[in-house]
Formats: sequence, C-alpha cells, structure tokens
Amino acid sequence: MRNRNATAYRFLTPYLLIFAIFWVWPIISSFLISFQATRTVPWRFAPGFNWGRLIGDPAFFNALKNTLLILVIQVPVMITLAMVMAVLLNSPLLKARGLYRFAFFAPVVVGEVAYSAVFRLMFSLDFGIINKLLNSIGLPKIDWFSNVTPAMALIMIAVTWRWAGYNAIILLAGMQSIPEDVYEAATLDRVSKLKQFFFITLPLLKPVIVFCAVLSIIGTMQLFTEPFLITERGGPGGGTETLGLLLYRQGFRSLNFGYASAVAYTMAALAIAITLVQLWLTREPK
Amino acid sequence: MATVTLNNVVKRFGNFPVVHGANIDIKDGEFVVFVGPSGCGKSTLLRMIAGLEDITDGEIAIGGKLVNDVEPADRGIAMVFQSYALYPHMSVEQNLSFGLRMTGNPKADTDRRVKRAAEILRISELMERRPKKLSGGQRQRVAIGRAIVREPQVFLFDEPLSNLDAELRVQMRVEISRLHKELGTTMIYVTHDQTEAMTLADRIVVLRGGHVEQIGRPLDLYDDPDNQFVAGFVGSPKMNFIKGRIVGRDAHGVVVELAGEEKTRIVQPLTGAAPEAGSKVIVGVRPEHFGIAGEGDADLTLAIDVVEHLGGTSFVYARTANGEDVVVQRDAAKVPDTPEITVSIRKSYLFDEKGLRLR
Ligand SMILES: Nc1ncnc2c1ncn2[C@@H]1O[C@H](COP(=O)(O)OP(=O)(O)OP(=O)(O)O)[C@@H](O)[C@H]1O
Ligand SMILES: [Mg+2]
Repeated sequence: MRNRNATAYRFLTPYLLIFAIFWVWPIISSFLISFQATRTVPWRFAPGFNWGRLIGDPAFFNALKNTLLILVIQVPVMITLAMVMAVLLNSPLLKARGLYRFAFFAPVVVGEVAYSAVFRLMFSLDFGIINKLLNSIGLPKIDWFSNVTPAMALIMIAVTWRWAGYNAIILLAGMQSIPEDVYEAATLDRVSKLKQFFFITLPLLKPVIVFCAVLSIIGTMQLFTEPFLITERGGPGGGTETLGLLLYRQGFRSLNFGYASAVAYTMAALAIAITLVQLWLTREPK
Repeated sequence: MATVTLNNVVKRFGNFPVVHGANIDIKDGEFVVFVGPSGCGKSTLLRMIAGLEDITDGEIAIGGKLVNDVEPADRGIAMVFQSYALYPHMSVEQNLSFGLRMTGNPKADTDRRVKRAAEILRISELMERRPKKLSGGQRQRVAIGRAIVREPQVFLFDEPLSNLDAELRVQMRVEISRLHKELGTTMIYVTHDQTEAMTLADRIVVLRGGHVEQIGRPLDLYDDPDNQFVAGFVGSPKMNFIKGRIVGRDAHGVVVELAGEEKTRIVQPLTGAAPEAGSKVIVGVRPEHFGIAGEGDADLTLAIDVVEHLGGTSFVYARTANGEDVVVQRDAAKVPDTPEITVSIRKSYLFDEKGLRLR
C-alpha cells in the first residue's frame, strides 16, 4: 500500500512542483511582499509601509466604494434577471429551447475585447444605437462615458449582459432537478402557479441561488475588464475605478508590487468575508 | 363522495396509443383497484382522472359532472403519488396545511383538519420533522394525510406502497382499508400487485396493454375469469396452463385430452358453443385445485422438480410428461417422498387458443 502511494506521488511530482512554484509560492510571496517597501531598490521589510498607506489612501477608498457599489446593485439585479430567464427557459410553452439556451450562454464565449468594443460603439454619444433609441422615444441623449453615474450604470449593464445568461443556465439546471410530481401535488392542492414559484421553486432553489451569488460576488470583487476597456481605465477621472484596476495600476504601471499585493489581499479577504456572511445569512435552519 | 365514470376514454402520446377506450363505472364510496402489469396504462388512467393528463378522446365524469375541461384543482380529487411527492423543504405540519394555507382557508378550520388527519394516521408526534427525516412508512402516511386534509370526493392512489418493505406493506394495506371504512370516500387505487388488489378492492379492474380485460369483485375474478390473462394474473401462485385438445363430447360436456397424456381426459361442461373436435385448447388449473389421486375426473402423474415447504402447506414444482411446468399445492403431510406425484384435477378452466374463456 505504502509503495503504491509512493509510486502515485512520483507520477504526481511534476504537477505538484509546478503547482508549488507557480501557485503556492506566488501566494506566499505576495503576502510577504505586501510587508515590504518596494518603491525603491533594494526592497526592505517595512510592515506599516503598504498597509499603513492603504488605510489612508483616497484612491483605495474610491476603488473600494466603486467596487462595492457595483456589487450591491449589479449582483441582485443580475440574479433576479437570471431567474426570470431560467423560468422562461423552463416553460413547456417555449419553442426552440436549445437556440435560446445557446443565445443566453453566448456572451460568456465572446472575446472580452470584442464585446467591450461593441459596447463602446453601442453606447457612443453621437452614433450609438442606445442614444438613438433614447432619442426616438423622446428621451435626451446620455453621455455614457464622461459622467460618473451613467458610466457606472454602463459597467453594471455590461457585466449583467455578459453573465446573466450564464447564471440563468445554472439556475435552470437547478430548476430541472426539482421533481415534477411536487408541482403536480401542489396543483392538486389548488396552489396557483405563481405561489408554486414563490413557495416551492424559490426555497428549493436556494442553494443554487446562493452558489450563483457567491460566484458573482467573487467575480465582481475582481472586476477589471469592463472598467479597463469600456470606460477606459476607470474613467471618467477614476469614477469607475475598481479594486482590480487599482491593483493593475499599482502593480503593472507603477511597478509598486508591495502596495499591489496589499490591495490584492484586501480584495481576497473582502470576497471571503462577504461570502461567509452570505452563507451564514442563508444557512439552512436546523 | 362521488361516482366516477369513464366513458370510452382513449389516450395517445403523440401517435402512440396507451389507453384504448376504457369504460369503467365506479360507484359512490366504492374502493376500486386498477391492476395490471407494468406499462399497461394504470398511472395514465389515474392521471387522466386527476386531470394531470389530457384525454385524447372520450369522457370522464366525477359525481355525474363532466370534467374533461375542468382544472385538476377543481375536480374534488386528492392524489397520493408513488414517490410521495412531499414538499421537501416543509415540515410535516406545513406539508399537510400548505394547500389550505395557500388558498386562504380559515386558520381554525385548517388546524382542525390537519389535527384530525394527523390523528387518523397517527403522525401527531412527527409534525415538526422534515420529510428527509422520516421513514418510508411515515412519509407515506404524510402523503395520505395531505390527501385527507383536502377532504376530497375521490381519493386516487398510485402504487402508494411499492416503495415499502414487505412487512410495512401489509401493515399499510390494513390501514388503507381502515381509512376507507372510516371515511367512506370513493377510492381508486393503482397497483401491479394482485395480492394488494384482492385484499383491498370492492371491485378490481384488470388492465393489459391499455385494454380493460375484466372488471369484477375479487372473488368473481378468481372464480370466474373471462380470459387466460385474468386467470393467470389473479391468484398466487399463478394458475397452471396445460395444453390440450378437444376429442369429443359426452353427456356432461366436451372431452379434453391433455397434450402428451393420452389417458388423461377431462370433461368440461360448456353452455356456449363447443369448439369442434380436434381444436386446440388450454386447460387452466389452480395449484389449489389439484386433488389426491382418484378425487377428480382424471389422474395425472407429474415428475417432481422441487418441493417448497411453507409449514402447513407445500408447493410442489413438477412437470408433465409433455414437459410443461406445473405447481401443485398440497398439505405438507401429503407430499410423497417419491420422485413422482399423482394428482387429480378437481376443477379446471378451459380457454381457446386466443386465451378467451370457454364456458
Ligand atoms: N409522457 C409520456 N409520453 C409518452 N409515453 C408515455 C408517457 N407516459 C407514459 N407513457 C407510456 O404509456 C404507457 C403506460 O404508462 P403508465 O405509466 O400508465 O404505466 P403503468 O401501468 O402505470 O406502469 P407501472 O406499473 O410501471 O407504473 C407506457 O408504455 C409508457 O411508456
Ligand atoms: Mg405507474
């Protein structure tokens, strides 16, 4: 038995080595780096240098505020939308179900740069289709890129467009695992379809909804692509800068790895903390 | 309480026919069992009565009122599913009261009904538990309780006992009988277990391949089956079927010779037209209708394969000279120690080649 284990580990060694070097070590290393002053060479150990700066950095708090704002608005809206899409997909009345399922899933597969370019075009001030539509129903044009509120809204719309279908597919899978006869029993119990949704589907789907929410929270905490490509590096004037962008600016533009590491650890800690709170709030009653 | 009438009910899934024109008349307060082998359309028939499945053709009436286009919720029926179909996230109490709460039934009345159902089924101690934490038998009671709470005109049961072990099945069978006596409501019960059907039913509907083969009281089906299928389905162990040939007529009826047993001749009184001499028939003999040699028309010597002793009675698994398997029921004391057993045929049934009863 021992021998067989040893053989197995020998086969695993190449993978474990790579895993240790490129995964475990960077995590430890960046933790250590976050305690070093890295603005000047040579780096030196200075525990308060980055963490002290973080606590008082308006740029950090701006990014934190933006990230949390997107999180708090976008995630619930997206999950609700995904739920509606899943219910529609699950309807026996729907024809060409496969086509819709593909269409809902497609945004995830589209390249990030391509999708960002299309969004920039669609929301452009003068020739964007969105503003044309707004105009045609008598609303004023919106300058999506130079005002903070519309820019934030644009980020949320884009992220929602990209991930709602993905979540809808997961929710759909959950819905389809609820046995049909439970609904039949409810029908014979004279419970309306709407009440069946709220008192049977939703409670039974709770674990799946929590799973989707946790995935989305983690994703949004790391949000980078949309503010980088669509609102041009967190524009206007840092109005859509997220923690992900701040990290990128510090680490890759200013090459201040110590501070970037501190930001990265803050992001991870926040994601874990929010997830734990969420799991605690939605735990199964004993 | 209500009658249930099925008039030429047909069901097709796409082009695939499942029920071919069923005519069934169920009286008020009657306990009717639909029985038949797997896939014969029992559940489909029940679900059509419940309204969970559309009717392709024909009419269904409950309490004299045509319900073809009536919503399931408004048919005054309650159904107990084979899988129980309990609401997994609700306690037993919530499972029972859910329907009434959702439809705005007054709370006092809901509480009264739930309490009564719990008492009838003896589940009062389980009210706070989730279905996951119940045994199979307890879940089954909750499922029945949910039906009782509805105070329906007709109860529908779809193989409610098939997920229980043998002992519990017998126990629940008795409870369902008791329930029917207590409530006096019309009940339609689906099973593929003929013992359940025989013990529970006021009347049995035997189904095969979407056809109603026979409707009758349990003992009528046993004593006077219309065809070979019903004869084989009702009774345990099954009726034996031995090939035979009509050789003539005498004063008492037709004379049948068993295949491979030239000297064994049975005389069977027939009131209807007798098939001509030489035509092939099937002779059905129940295991309990073999007598000791010399007791009946003719004696038959069988080669014994296996003997099962159940205590008081024994079952002898044997073969005719023609190689057909036969089961003989005997008092344990009267099973011979020899490799052969000679029996007489005290009572038999005659079927034509298509399996229709000749009488
Ligand atoms: N939704 C459906 N679509 C197509 N065919 C179906 C459907 N439901 C049932 N059938 C077919 O109808 C026939 C009867 O099914 P049904 O469930 O009524 O049988 P059953 O007598 O209840 O059998 P069992 O004892 O196994 O429950 C079967 O051949 C089955 O394959
Ligand atoms: Mg069935």
